Amino acid sequence: MESPIIFLRPFNLSDAEDVFKWAGDDDVTRYLRWDSVKTLEEAKQHILNKAIPHPWRRSISLLQDGCSLGYVSVKPDSGDGRCRADLAYAVAKEFWGRGIATAAVRMAVEQAFEDFPELVRLQAVVEVENKASQRVLEKAGFRKEGLLEKYGFSKGVIRDMFLYSFVKDDCFV
Amino acid sequence: MEMDSQETQPIISSSPPGRISLRPMTLSDVDDYMVWATDPKVARFCTWEPCTSRDEAIKYITDRVLTHPWLRAICLEDDRPIGYILIMAVDNIRKEIGYVLARKYWGKGFATEAVRLVTAEVFKEFPEIERLEALVDVDNVGSQRVLEKVGFTKEGVMRKFLCIKGSVRDTVMFSFLPTDTLK
Repeated sequence: MESPIIFLRPFNLSDAEDVFKWAGDDDVTRYLRWDSVKTLEEAKQHILNKAIPHPWRRSISLLQDGCSLGYVSVKPDSGDGRCRADLAYAVAKEFWGRGIATAAVRMAVEQAFEDFPELVRLQAVVEVENKASQRVLEKAGFRKEGLLEKYGFSKGVIRDMFLYSFVKDDCFV
Repeated sequence: MEMDSQETQPIISSSPPGRISLRPMTLSDVDDYMVWATDPKVARFCTWEPCTSRDEAIKYITDRVLTHPWLRAICLEDDRPIGYILIMAVDNIRKEIGYVLARKYWGKGFATEAVRLVTAEVFKEFPEIERLEALVDVDNVGSQRVLEKVGFTKEGVMRKFLCIKGSVRDTVMFSFLPTDTLK
C-alpha cells in the first residue's frame, strides 16, 4: 500500500467539530486512556485543556491546514527518563485502513527527535487485543520489546500491554 | 496507597528464621550506611553518586531515607544493616522494588532472601497492587539473577530507557504478579 500524504499541525479551537467526530466515537477511544467526549462543548474543553497545552500533540489531516481526522502525540518523560517519550495516536474510523496512522507515526517520530534533542527513545504501550495498533507500530519500524502483564489500568480494567520502541538509530521500515 | 508513617513498621523476618531480617532504618545506622553509599561499585547502576562525607550521609538519611514511604534496612543477626530494600509506588496498581547491598555481602544470597521476603509481604500489605516490577540495568547481571531466583518474570529489554550519569542505558523489565509463585 502506498503511504498516504498527511500533514501534522497544532490543534486550535476551530477544530472542535471535527474533533468531536472522532473523539466522540467509542470505537476510536476504545483503547485510549480517556473517555469519548459526549458533546461539542466537551470537545472544545478537550482541545483547550488537553490538546493545546500538551508538550507535543498534533492534529492529523490530509490537506495542509485541513480538517482534523485524528491526533498523534509525543510526551517526553523527565529527570532520568528525559531520554524517552510516550507516543499515542488515534484516527477517525472512516479513515481507518489507509495507512494514515502509520504515516502520522513516522512523521511524528522524525519530528520528535528534532524537537526534543535529548530524546533517544520513543515508546508505546498497546493492549494485547489491539492488533490494528500493533500493526501500525510494526509498519512504522517500532520493535516489540515484551509483554508487560497487568501494566495499565484503563477505564476500570487492568490490562496486559505490549511495549514497543523506536530508538534513534532505528530505521523506518 | 502509601503507608501511614505513624503506623508501627513491623520487623520482617523469614520463617523459619533465615539469615537476614528487615527493619526501618535509623540515623544511628549512618556508619553502616556509609559502607555501601560511598562505594562507587555499588553506585554504578544507581542514579545516585557515591556519598562523600558523614554529614552528607546524615542529610541523605534524614531527607530521603527516613521519609521514604517503604524502606527497610537488610540486617544480619547482629542487627546491623548491610544494605536496604525499598518499594516505590508507580501508580494505583503498580509498585517497583529496589535494593542495594554492600559489596562485601554480594554473591551470598542475601539480596535474594530480602527480595523474596518483601515480595511475599507486599501483596498482603498492599492488596490493591496488581503488579510488582523491577528495572535493572542490562549490565547488572548479579541483580538480574536475584530476581530470576526469586521467580520474577523477565519481560524484555527496554532499549535506551534511562539516562544515568550521562549515558543512556538499556534496562531490563521484570515483574511479579500476585498470581505468580515465589521460588
